[in-house]
Amino acid sequence: MSEFDAIVIGAGPAGASAAIRLASSKKNVLLVEKSDPPGSKNVSGGVLWGSSLSSIIPDWEKSAPVERFVDTKSVAFLTQDSKIGIDFSSKKLQQKKTGYTVLRAKLDQWLARKAKEAGAMVINGVTVEKLHMENGKVTGVEQGGDVITSDAVILCEGANPRVAIDSGLHKRLSDRDVAIGVKEVITLPEATINERFHLKSGAGFACEYVLGYLQNGVEAGGFLYTNKDSISVGIVVSMSHLRENDATHSFDIIESFTGHPYIAPLLEGGNMQEYSAHLVQEGGIGSMPKLYGNGYMIAGDSAGFSFSNGLVLQGMNYAIDSGIIAADTFIEASKGMDYSESALKLYQDRLESSYVMKDMRTFKGIENVTWSPFVHKKVPAMLESLMLNLFMEEGKPKKHMTGMLLDAMSENDMLKASSIMEAYRMMRRM
Amino acid sequence: MKIEDRLSVLNYKTDKSYAHITVKPDICETCPDHFCTFACPANCYTLIEGKLNFKYEDCVECGTCDVACAHGSVTWTNTKGAHGIKYKFG
Repeated sequence: MSEFDAIVIGAGPAGASAAIRLASSKKNVLLVEKSDPPGSKNVSGGVLWGSSLSSIIPDWEKSAPVERFVDTKSVAFLTQDSKIGIDFSSKKLQQKKTGYTVLRAKLDQWLARKAKEAGAMVINGVTVEKLHMENGKVTGVEQGGDVITSDAVILCEGANPRVAIDSGLHKRLSDRDVAIGVKEVITLPEATINERFHLKSGAGFACEYVLGYLQNGVEAGGFLYTNKDSISVGIVVSMSHLRENDATHSFDIIESFTGHPYIAPLLEGGNMQEYSAHLVQEGGIGSMPKLYGNGYMIAGDSAGFSFSNGLVLQGMNYAIDSGIIAADTFIEASKGMDYSESALKLYQDRLESSYVMKDMRTFKGIENVTWSPFVHKKVPAMLESLMLNLFMEEGKPKKHMTGMLLDAMSENDMLKASSIMEAYRMMRRM
Repeated sequence: MKIEDRLSVLNYKTDKSYAHITVKPDICETCPDHFCTFACPANCYTLIEGKLNFKYEDCVECGTCDVACAHGSVTWTNTKGAHGIKYKFG
């Protein structure tokens, strides 16, 4: 007889969602979190896209500690001197809110409280050291020599899944699996943010950037999201490109971003209140571990669920939904008291029929597009030449748009057959 | 802003009795790249007169160094007892 029906490791969006679902179905669930309070070691960009939480917390839009809804979504290329971007603002985003900026220390603490209210036992400040195994089956967790037993364990450890790695359920992470995320939270008065970003109260701005000005092969993306009275600003830098470069500090890249002539004015007068770093899942389907086995399931970032096509970064929505699907699988398995690998295969099946795995499969190989010299060097340089040609008035006869575009592409070596193929492949993968 | 100044705004509950990350000095001594010194966002890995110096106290527990070190020097574990970094925003 196990002490708990299920143990969930990690109180982030995946783990808390799993625990809420399990507890709401009267399962005896233990949610173990190494930080205290929950959320105090967690970091994300972060925009929470979608409404995954609505199935476990119907009133979440009113009760969750969200910062601002995304009213303006932008993407931009930065070169040394220029910013070339697209802004999308829409009344439709005000009517149907699709994304909210969040701060994880607040959000995750709230989610853990919701798990507790639903009936889960939540323990903070306890680090699971390893999984407890009996006859090749996961039957609990171990910490400091103590064993806590359960019928199954759901691992939701985040992007750096130590227990899964140390237990042999997840391979060690490599350059192709993760990127380095570095972030600052800069406080500014709410009214200043509203004015600076042309936002009404409650509305927010979210932008992803390609840092096309970086030199010597370093590739990084940037992000800037408005919270209520602070701005989350940061970078995601490719591990493999940084390694090849071996001369640039990750912390200097964020400084170059926050100091860029078209970013710095947005942050001016603010107070840097927090500096943080976190691994970012980037490997797509190729980095996914086996998601289930005898007595266990893996959800959220630990499972490799994330999405980035350069226009939008998502992870928390996949975490929440995969956590819920793992919980539902457990509930189904509990009917036959069978938590074996063959019973928990249902988790994979359910993921496959949900958007979680469908997206992972649809965007297979997208990381080869988002991390490519084509996107990080050629496109920004070409767009800058095109814009300069369009707006420089030098009293000379003008060309048609297509002529200018061809000139700009030619200047940046983009008319070669190899570049055209690259562009074609890129569009297909996006 | 210097990295030291950025780190100075952070709250830590330092575990004085347990270093959650350790390195093997003999491996670091012969390391050809010292990529950890560039990758670590918290500047925990520095070269002092050509010798690698590591301090776990400033670590923000991101896991970067465990991926960055291709030579098997880094042993990475989670902090225990709610020690380590404590973010207010996250």
